[in-house]
Amino acid sequence: MSGEMSGADFDSLVFTCLGDAALSVGTPRARALLADLRDTPLPGVLEVVPALAQLTVLFDPLQLDAAQLEAALRGRLAGLPERPAHEPAGAARTLVVPVVFGGAGGPDLEWCAAHAGLTVGAFVSALCAQTLEVAFLGFTPGFAFLTGLPPFLRMPRLDAPRAQVPAGSVALGGPWAGVYPSGTPGGWRIVGHTDLSLFDLSRPEPVPWRAGDRVQFRAVTAGGEG
Amino acid sequence: MIEVIRPGMQSTVQDAGRRVRALGVPAGGAADGAARRLANALVGNAPESRAAGLEVTLAGPTLLFHAAALVSLCGAPFGGALVGADGAGRPFAPWRAVPVRAGDRLSIGGTPAGARAFLAVRGGLDVPEVFGSRGTDLRSAFGGMQGRALRAGDRLAWSSLPPVRPARAFVSPELRTPVGPDHTLRVQVTPDGTPDLLAALTGQTFTVSAQADRMGARLGGVVAAPHDPARASVPNVPGMVQVPPYGQPIVLLPDAGTHGGYPTPLVVISADLPRLGQLRPGDRVTLQPVTAAQARAALWAHERGLRQAEWALRHWYAGAGSAPLCCAHAD
Repeated sequence: MSGEMSGADFDSLVFTCLGDAALSVGTPRARALLADLRDTPLPGVLEVVPALAQLTVLFDPLQLDAAQLEAALRGRLAGLPERPAHEPAGAARTLVVPVVFGGAGGPDLEWCAAHAGLTVGAFVSALCAQTLEVAFLGFTPGFAFLTGLPPFLRMPRLDAPRAQVPAGSVALGGPWAGVYPSGTPGGWRIVGHTDLSLFDLSRPEPVPWRAGDRVQFRAVTAGGEG
Repeated sequence: MIEVIRPGMQSTVQDAGRRVRALGVPAGGAADGAARRLANALVGNAPESRAAGLEVTLAGPTLLFHAAALVSLCGAPFGGALVGADGAGRPFAPWRAVPVRAGDRLSIGGTPAGARAFLAVRGGLDVPEVFGSRGTDLRSAFGGMQGRALRAGDRLAWSSLPPVRPARAFVSPELRTPVGPDHTLRVQVTPDGTPDLLAALTGQTFTVSAQADRMGARLGGVVAAPHDPARASVPNVPGMVQVPPYGQPIVLLPDAGTHGGYPTPLVVISADLPRLGQLRPGDRVTLQPVTAAQARAALWAHERGLRQAEWALRHWYAGAGSAPLCCAHAD
């Protein structure tokens, strides 16, 4: 239980109580801790929900309290191997998302290209050249927060969100890229559309991606895979 | 088989909800969890059976039972009446196990206070599980009855359990989730709770706006909200009070999105979560900060009562019908 973690990791460890039934832990080892908690659940923990470098642990307050949970989580963190065993570089899957950029399905593409100081073609090429990563899922079923955009591709969110964003919209917002699995309100800049289904209960795995997967956009023409 | 004659304002199949927020799927489940537990206990559905029932909202449905059943209605004080196949009317008492005969029509009316009630059926409603729950996710349209609220003509089956003598008991009033129009919600403060924000949130009474549904209840009244566009999206937890930039607080209910990017300075304590299901537009809400120790004591007090009632009813249905009924009082 000693010596496995660097001082830097301890320095950036933050526990936050969210009411009497949830504890948030901020740590650069969040993903490894999540894998550990899934492999060997802690008694009294009902759900572990990832975000970027953060886990929110929902627990049964009739079984334990936040202080006991924090102690248990510190123990788990101390026991994690130095190199995160659960996220080896080569093991992540890569999901290619075919996107029709611009047109009716990508109303903000030209604005985004201009904002980046690029032609539309160069903007699309730059976006497709990036390997993005699923940081975590959330917001609506199947929605993935994709990280890895270089600063020049990061777009400010809309001042006023659209009341309805069509399913399949490929969008950029702040540091994130994302694809809307279903029609919802949304405040990100929509640059294209994909026919890829992101939430389909008829599939064994209704959601095609999970945290840690790599994602690449590929430009296709409308009606085909290009 | 239950045939829906009139669907009511928003009647959905619900149960204890799901635990797959990590896939972006909201918790769902009955908005008044205490009413759900008590209604199921009254008809002999064990907690571990995760039995599904019908959550009714503001104006209830009319249901035609094609077979005999044992039902109970717990939650806001909805009116109800049974009419037999012969046209004879019978009163319908909430907070009790009520035998229904084949051909009976159960009409659940409106409620003068509160918003929701849970209709349990012995055996539990039989719809497919999605992500471990039979509850309806209205926004993403899955679970329950085809992912939507009931419509006239829908037919719902339930799983059969051996017939029993209905429990001769009613649920003690102190176990019932309080209904409005005035609510005090006990909350715990998070690190987002700056002194200014706390003073604003706890120093006034809010009115529940018309925008109150299973996702959240927007409170009328404005506080000076911090605005941080760079804030990261983080997981939501039940009972969070969000403060968006325009300053109208939102209390999150079971269908709320799994992650959010707004400050959440307060979280309603677990003991008071069932009360959120009874917030009705026009009700008044005050937010009262409590300590972790107070939250824990309140939860244990609440849970003790629920468990005693569940235990007493389980005892009844296990065959010890003459056992003293503790918090579920015998007739």
